[in-house]
Amino acid sequence: MTAAEENQPSAESSGTSVDTLELRNIVKRFEKPGQGEILVLDGVDLDVEGGAFVSLLGPSGCGKTTLMNVISGLVTQDQGTMRRGGRDVAPGDLSLGYIFQEPRLLNWKTVSENIEFALEARDIPESEWQERTDRYLEMVGLGDEGDNYPTRLSGGMKQRVAIARALAIEPEIILMDEPFSSLDEITARDLREELLDIWKQEEKTILFVTHDINEAVFLSDYIYMMNTQGEMFARRNVNIDRPRQYDDPAIAQRETELYREFHENVVH
Amino acid sequence: MNRLQRSSYTAASIAALLALWYAGGIAFPEVLPGLPETVSALIVVLTEPGPYGNMFYFHVWKTIEMLFAALIVSMIAGTFLGIALGRNETLESTLSMWIYGWLAIPSLVIVFVSAIWIGFNANSGYFAVPVVITPFIALNMWEGARTLDTDLAEMAEFFGAGRIQTFKDIIVPQLAPFLFASFRSGLSVGWKITLLVEAFLLTRGVGFMFKRYFDNYDLPTMMSWLIIFVIFLIIVEYGVLAPLHERVMEWRPDAEGVRVTE
Repeated sequence: MTAAEENQPSAESSGTSVDTLELRNIVKRFEKPGQGEILVLDGVDLDVEGGAFVSLLGPSGCGKTTLMNVISGLVTQDQGTMRRGGRDVAPGDLSLGYIFQEPRLLNWKTVSENIEFALEARDIPESEWQERTDRYLEMVGLGDEGDNYPTRLSGGMKQRVAIARALAIEPEIILMDEPFSSLDEITARDLREELLDIWKQEEKTILFVTHDINEAVFLSDYIYMMNTQGEMFARRNVNIDRPRQYDDPAIAQRETELYREFHENVVH
Repeated sequence: MNRLQRSSYTAASIAALLALWYAGGIAFPEVLPGLPETVSALIVVLTEPGPYGNMFYFHVWKTIEMLFAALIVSMIAGTFLGIALGRNETLESTLSMWIYGWLAIPSLVIVFVSAIWIGFNANSGYFAVPVVITPFIALNMWEGARTLDTDLAEMAEFFGAGRIQTFKDIIVPQLAPFLFASFRSGLSVGWKITLLVEAFLLTRGVGFMFKRYFDNYDLPTMMSWLIIFVIFLIIVEYGVLAPLHERVMEWRPDAEGVRVTE
């Protein structure tokens, strides 16, 4: 496989590519005070193909964030493996960026310093900080806000800073955990379109967690669906040509189909 | 309110206090030393050597020395203790009762016990003052440590920040307001205890001067010493703590400065 092909968003392939991240049989239990042990992830399989935009769709509290945290290494699974190119991999072997539901910025640092925080944490040489900070702030449309404090930015702008921070460490795979769910719909739509531009231009792989079916259909190459029992019950392709339009009837139709399937599997 | 308005209100409050004092001194001369008498006593204190041939600044310096040495020790000990309590549930359940017990011991008792253990010298003060103020600081920092944001800690962990970077960029900035509050409460409690120590055990410092002029029933001179030390504490607050606080908290949006775009 050539480098050019590797980075093609491959909605159709079935996870045999060498740069596909394969999660197999991931199990995670948590102790909950008063409820005993609860099963959050019940033998989950997931393939994140190189260069693809993958969504993980499920109702609130179904373990989507836990799965992200297993990939990122913030949580260790009880069972199961992560494999890539035929070898077992640990989170530390992967090149990952993370965009959380909240921006999680350091309010006492300027926008640029927030990005430098991540660069310092990743041991990026200081000589590269300026160039990277400028480049990625420019990319998210905040080229002029480097010296401003996050407390003076709107919610959408803060989330843009968080996106720039994740991009600045130049990861292969970006994990995004409902990053637009607390924004108003107009801001969220702008950000989704910009995210798709960045994804295409920078040739990143994105794993995107959401509970919004419309958002998942608009963004993704393929979608994994989870239920509240911690089971991954389906993987569905989207197969709609890009660039996509919000008012495309094909999106609405795919959304309806997936909703129906969700309804049968999740709502009893 | 702008700067000029604020300063004029401050000046007006000082003028009103002086006027009230002047009138009170005439109306109740047995209770309140007259303003003119106090001013002349203050001039004597400021210009002439007192007991044992020491000028006023020697006593003020000795008090400051003990107060700030105690504050430094207590800030370090109290911060560590408070953070430990706030971050560790086992420690919290084991020690919290004792912290409240410690706070309940009257400072006078601590000063007396120190004198018996250590003797009638400055070392008793260097022991007693930190013992009194450390739990106040620990209590503040304990509260601060409980409010630390776990989301930010997780973010820092994800990006791979080390211990030093996490402490410097994540923990300390969140605790900064609590550090300032601790220092202020330590200062206000600490200077009272320092005076107690000096009045009961020592022959130097502002506390000793109060005791000495109390023995002579010399109210105007006692007032002079009070004025000197209150002015000193106001200078510490407005000259050092407030500007420092403002600098550290620069990132906080002020009502007019909020600039929301997009």
